[in-house]
Amino acid sequence: MTDRTVFLCAVALYGISAIYSIFLLRRGFREDNRINYLLLLGAFILHTLAMFQRGFSLQRCPINNLYEATMFIAWTIVASYLLLGAWVRLRFLGAFAAPLLFGLGVYAFMLSLGLKQTAQPDFSGGWQSLHAALIFLSYGTFGLGSLAAVMYLNQEHDLKFHRIRALFALVPPIQRLELITVRLLLGGFVLLTAGLLIGAFALQLPPGTRYWTDAKVIWSLIVWGLYLALLILHWRFAQRGRRFAWGTVASFAFILLTFWGFSLLSGIHNQ
Amino acid sequence: MALIVIGLSHHTSPVHVRERFAFTEPRIPATLELIRSTGVAEEAVILSTCNRVEIYAATSNGPQEALPALREFLLHCHDYRDPLTDELYTLAEPSSVEHLFKVACGLDSMVLGETEILGQLKKAYDLALQHKSTGAVLNKAFQKAFNVAKQIRTETNIQRGSISVSSVAVELAEKIFSSLDDRQVMVIGAGDTSEKAARALLSRGARSIIVSNRSHERAVALATELNGRAVHFEDWSREFEKIDIVISSTAAPHYVLDRARLEPLMRLRRNRPLLLIDIAVPRDIEPEVNFLDNVYLYNIDDLQTIAADYLKQRKEEITRCEAIIREKADALIGGRRHGLPSLGRPAFGQ
Repeated sequence: MTDRTVFLCAVALYGISAIYSIFLLRRGFREDNRINYLLLLGAFILHTLAMFQRGFSLQRCPINNLYEATMFIAWTIVASYLLLGAWVRLRFLGAFAAPLLFGLGVYAFMLSLGLKQTAQPDFSGGWQSLHAALIFLSYGTFGLGSLAAVMYLNQEHDLKFHRIRALFALVPPIQRLELITVRLLLGGFVLLTAGLLIGAFALQLPPGTRYWTDAKVIWSLIVWGLYLALLILHWRFAQRGRRFAWGTVASFAFILLTFWGFSLLSGIHNQ
Repeated sequence: MALIVIGLSHHTSPVHVRERFAFTEPRIPATLELIRSTGVAEEAVILSTCNRVEIYAATSNGPQEALPALREFLLHCHDYRDPLTDELYTLAEPSSVEHLFKVACGLDSMVLGETEILGQLKKAYDLALQHKSTGAVLNKAFQKAFNVAKQIRTETNIQRGSISVSSVAVELAEKIFSSLDDRQVMVIGAGDTSEKAARALLSRGARSIIVSNRSHERAVALATELNGRAVHFEDWSREFEKIDIVISSTAAPHYVLDRARLEPLMRLRRNRPLLLIDIAVPRDIEPEVNFLDNVYLYNIDDLQTIAADYLKQRKEEITRCEAIIREKADALIGGRRHGLPSLGRPAFGQ
C-alpha cells in the first residue's frame, strides 16, 4: 500500500469519527465518548504510518509541500488531542476535532492527487526540517486551542441561556477550558517563535530572494503578531471569556483560510 | 432456602407508625439473635432508617408459613396491637430480591436515586455479619445488591444531577469555576435557602462567606454559623471585587443589583466569571445583567426548572433500572437453584 492509500484510510476514519461526533453533540455529551477516542486513535495510527512511509521514502521529515504540510498539521492536532484525551473530561475535544481533521484530511488528499512524487525534496538540511516542523507543530497547537475555545463557546452559551445540557455535559468547567486555551496558545506561540527564529538565523536564503518581500514570511509575522496580541489582551487587559474564545477561533480560521494561498505566493517556500 | 422481606416504609405508612417499629442500633443484635433462636428464620438483617424498617430473612420454610411468623414476630417485638391495614408489606422471591436491589439503588427512596440508603444498607448488613446472623443466602443477596447498585450508578442516569435548589447552585458553580476551593461567596439577605446554598458551597470547598443583611445582627449570626464574615448592607458592593459567587435573597421590593451598577464592578474584577444566584421574590437582580460578558445569572425559577428536569430524567431511567434489577434478581435466584428455571413474576404478598 502506498502512503496515500494508508492516509486515505485514516481520512475515512476521521470521517466516521466526524459523523459519530454529530450524534455526541446532539446528545449534549452525556456519556463518555470512548468510541470516538478509539476511532481517532485508529486514524492516528494509520496517519502516522502514512507519514513514516512517506518520510522513509524521502529520507527526511515529510514537510516538503502543501500536501505534506496539511497532513502534518492534522497529525499534530490529532496527536495533541490523544494526549489531552487521556483525561476523560477533555475527551470531548474529539467531537470538535474530528470534523476539522476530516476537512484537513480531505483537503490534503485532494492536494496529493495533483502532486508528482519527486525524488528530490524541496527542503534540505536538518535546520530546515526543524524550522518547518516547529512551525507546523505550532499551527497544530493553535488548532487544538481553537477547538478548546469552540468547546468553551458551546458550554458558555448553554450556561448563559440556562440549558440543562450544560450540567449534563461531561466537559470541564468553562474557566478551566479557558485556561487550557491560553496554555495551548502560549505553547503554540513559543513553537512558532522558535520556528521563525530558526528560519531567520539558521537558514540560508535562496539566491535572489529577500525575507521582507516574501509573502509567506510577512504572513507568518502577521500570525505571530496576532497571537501575541491575543495573549497580551488576555493577560494585560483582562479580555477573557467569550471575546478571548472568539479571538482564538477567528485567528485559527485566518490561518486555515490564508495559509495555502500565501504558501503558493511565497518565492522562498516554493523553490 | 429463600429470601423473604417484611417491613414498612414511607410509601406505606406515616411517620407515627414507622417510629413505633424503629429499631435502635443497640437493640438490633439481640433481635437478630431472637429471630434465629425462635426459629422464625435461619438468617436475618434488620434495616432501620427514618424512612423504612425492614427485616430481610432467609428461611427454609415456605413463604406461606414464614412470612406470617415473621409478621407476628415484628408486631410482638414492638408490642404493636393497633389495627394495621396496608402498612406492613411482605415479599417472597423473586419480589423480595428485587425489592432489596431497588432499596440498594435508591429506587424505593423518598428522594429518587439517593445514595445515602446504600450506606445504611451496608451498615445494617455489616452489623448482622458481625453478629453471625447472615449465611450463604443473605451474604450472596446483599453482595449482589451492592454490585447492582454500583452498576446502576455507572450505567444509568438515575443518580445524576441535583434535585434541590441548593445543590443545583453548587453544580452550576462547579461548571463555571475550575475549582471551588478558593472561591469567595457573598450571601445578600439571610434567608433559609440562601443559607442552605452557602452551606453546600462551603462543604465543596468554597473559601469564605461574606454575609450582608439589612439586619446586621442577623448577618453577624449567620456569618458566625457559616464561619464567615458579616458586612453592613450599605457596604456589600465594596467587597464585590473579590467575590465569585453571589447568593441573593433579600426582601427588597426593588433590584439590589442592576446592570448599571454591575458593569463597573466587573471591570474592577478584571472580568473574572461571576455566578449570581437570585432566589428572592421579588427578584433582587436585574435580568439584564445576564447580557454582560462572564456573568451567569440564575433566578429561583431557573434553578427549580433544572431540579425538575433532573427529577424527570431520573424518573425516565426507572424502567432501565428495573430491567437491570429483574435480570440480576433472576440470575441470583436461578444460580442458587443450580440452573432450575427462576420463579414467576407475581409477588407473594404486598
